[in-house]
Amino acid sequence: MQNSSRLALYHFWVAFGMFLPAVVLGAWQMLMRSPLPTPLDDTNAYYVSVTLHGTVMAYVITTFFAMGFGYAVTATSLGRPVRGVIAAWIGFVICLVGAVMAAVAVLLGRATVLYTFYPPLLASVWYYFGALLLIGGSMIWVVLMIYNMSAWKRDNPGQPVPLAMFATAATAILWAWAASGVEIELLFVLIPRALGMTSQINVGLGRTLFTVTLHAIVYFWLMPAYIAFYTLVPQAAGGRLYSDTMGRLTFIMFLVFSLPVGLHHIFGDPEIGAGFKFVQSFLTFFVSLPTLLTVFSICASLEIAGRARGGRGLVGWISALPWHEPMVLAVALSLVMLGLGGFGGLINMSYAMNNMIHNTSWVTAHFHLIFGGAVVIMYFAVAYEMWPPITGKPLQSKALACWQLWLWFAGMIIATIPWHITGLMGQPRRVAVFDYSDPFNAPMGPLVIISVIGGLIMLVSAVLLITILVRSQLGERMLTAPLRYALAVNPPRTVPASLNGFALWNSILLVLMLFAYGYPIGQFFFLKSSAPAYEVTRQATGAEIK
Amino acid sequence: MAQDQGALRTYNPWPRVGWGLVATIVVVAVVLGFGFLARYQQGGPTLDIWSAICRGIGVTADTGPAGEPKPGLFTPTRIAWTSATLGQIAAGDAKHGASVALVCTGCHGEHGVSQSGQYPTLAGMDPAVIYKQLDDFRSGKRTWGPMNAIGHALSPEDFADVAASFPTQPGGLPALTGNRTPEPGRSLRESDPAKRLVFAGDPQRGIPPCSACHGPGGYKLGAPALQRQHASYIEEQLKAFAQGQRKNDIFEQMRIIARQLTPSEIHAVAVFYAAGAVAPSAGGPASQ
Repeated sequence: MQNSSRLALYHFWVAFGMFLPAVVLGAWQMLMRSPLPTPLDDTNAYYVSVTLHGTVMAYVITTFFAMGFGYAVTATSLGRPVRGVIAAWIGFVICLVGAVMAAVAVLLGRATVLYTFYPPLLASVWYYFGALLLIGGSMIWVVLMIYNMSAWKRDNPGQPVPLAMFATAATAILWAWAASGVEIELLFVLIPRALGMTSQINVGLGRTLFTVTLHAIVYFWLMPAYIAFYTLVPQAAGGRLYSDTMGRLTFIMFLVFSLPVGLHHIFGDPEIGAGFKFVQSFLTFFVSLPTLLTVFSICASLEIAGRARGGRGLVGWISALPWHEPMVLAVALSLVMLGLGGFGGLINMSYAMNNMIHNTSWVTAHFHLIFGGAVVIMYFAVAYEMWPPITGKPLQSKALACWQLWLWFAGMIIATIPWHITGLMGQPRRVAVFDYSDPFNAPMGPLVIISVIGGLIMLVSAVLLITILVRSQLGERMLTAPLRYALAVNPPRTVPASLNGFALWNSILLVLMLFAYGYPIGQFFFLKSSAPAYEVTRQATGAEIK
Repeated sequence: MAQDQGALRTYNPWPRVGWGLVATIVVVAVVLGFGFLARYQQGGPTLDIWSAICRGIGVTADTGPAGEPKPGLFTPTRIAWTSATLGQIAAGDAKHGASVALVCTGCHGEHGVSQSGQYPTLAGMDPAVIYKQLDDFRSGKRTWGPMNAIGHALSPEDFADVAASFPTQPGGLPALTGNRTPEPGRSLRESDPAKRLVFAGDPQRGIPPCSACHGPGGYKLGAPALQRQHASYIEEQLKAFAQGQRKNDIFEQMRIIARQLTPSEIHAVAVFYAAGAVAPSAGGPASQ
């Protein structure tokens, strides 16, 4: 893996190093919301904890994991060293400094904004600068991914870009588009107010800009998992990828349809017209297409593998699959959680049905199943797959790794099914304490206690993950097989330019974004609405208002 | 399609299919979102097509019929937290304010640290709070004989100057630093009723925690810090809110909360907040 091994390893360790404490916080938050006695019984601490848990899980871990994965994929799939390693290390340091800045601001209680960038909630400027550095640093990665792909294309004219690299570049471009919303919001709405340069804040503009980032960021988290689905899973199962073209189409559709859809996160906000909310709700449904396409191709690829291994009959190929391989086990568990969470998501994105579950624990359950479940379990599997080639040491016990995946899956299911139910019963998310003697809340009590058990199981699983990774890295150096990507049943010899690059899709996306967001964002420049910020950081003294 | 090597040339199949599909989706979305749904969302056509499109975009003309005559609007205060108001408060001149504020010391104590349980301590109070209360006294939204007279005697500029002039003093109200050191016992499970109300509120009665706006740990523009304020002053104000004698809280939140508190809860919360306040001297300033 040449020069990128250390780079990938450092990124992965930042991600997994922060993962364990964030899981501890999550488990404590569940205990806090439950009727059970809780150590450090403090509501403010709960909101600080929610902010830190969300910031670390959603922004820090994902960004570092995606970057590390991207460097590893670039080197291995193109079969040559990553270009721009020095820039990559600079990006790593910038991201790390930003992450630490944001985390410290949260820990000091000066940024309890529940990991959103939704005004009028306002955090300390250190939190915002931290986020800006983290996102800005990751843009170096974006440039490097695109640069590495185009350099390879220049050196190999007419050749199809390997699917893993094509998908990684799609991820990078998706992230550049997605991050633009929150970057503009930080620079022109939040930071000027947090610095005290303005006394008011344009709430509608800020919230609308954040939705540009909001939904697509989820696909940025998701893409490494999907790349593993298409390029690593069939290989680990001992088969071939069903279709290379379907893979390319999937990543292209994610790029095009994950962006002009963010308004479905603010159906409750009054400043956007109902027509635009409907349009984006409508467009959101198209995001399910690439997911369904993926479920189909992965199941087909696994069937190819199962039959190649001697499986017969309608379902006989399933038992013939190598279930002791963490990657194969993980994909099955991941697809189950993706299915459950995905159907919940259809409720969330539907303009009318959203009202039933808006801001309830149903939403928490949905994104924990999709991200915390389906995606993160693939992060684990990718780590197990990549640890040997990048450390040069074998994985210490695949059996233990499978146990870890099963525990994570069980914990996530036990935690999120009760959340779905309490959400339908009306339990709000992001609330520290509930009075379970109230007849409205009383029936939720037992369900919440069950979800706590799920949380504790996940905590055990997270400890196991770190144990396996550390033990493997401390093990003896041995000759390890290099990372291999799955071949397609019909490996592409040439592909149309449209499926080998992003010029067409970026132009389509630009038009779609102007259509979906042009007026909703543009209106604020002639409506000029603004309101005072709700600072959760400190008392605004006269001097600060100035 | 292998010879399809121009991603942006529309005569190639992929760009043509791509643009065509996306255009179809956009057209369908527009017709549904801005035409059909906006017009027929209540069963039958409720709007003409132009108004429906406007509603879809979010521009609604106020074309409804004028309602029946209603009683005059009562507003709890004249202050809104606009940038103009905040700018004026921020422009307060503490030096000029200090000379004006000499008149305050008679009741509110030297440097605004009140020695009497009847009058609030002003030292350390957020300028926006003092500014709003002075304006409410001036407009009669809040009544207290001498203060209404003083409110009339001063100009809004003076309010801002006075508001800027009360420094933090020993015994004054602590500035809300935003330091939320986590501490056990700050949830509904707490057995001390005052502590429970202050830090967790009472969701069953719809009472939010006092500390969310009044500290410690919380802050809301226009809400005074209460730590080290005199217990009897807090108690009197809560009673005044409960009985509707004081009604200058913008969203009625204090009236709604105070009405639901029992006398013993009011007392307990007041005593909780007064911890660390200057002990009121008997009788306070005699001249009134």
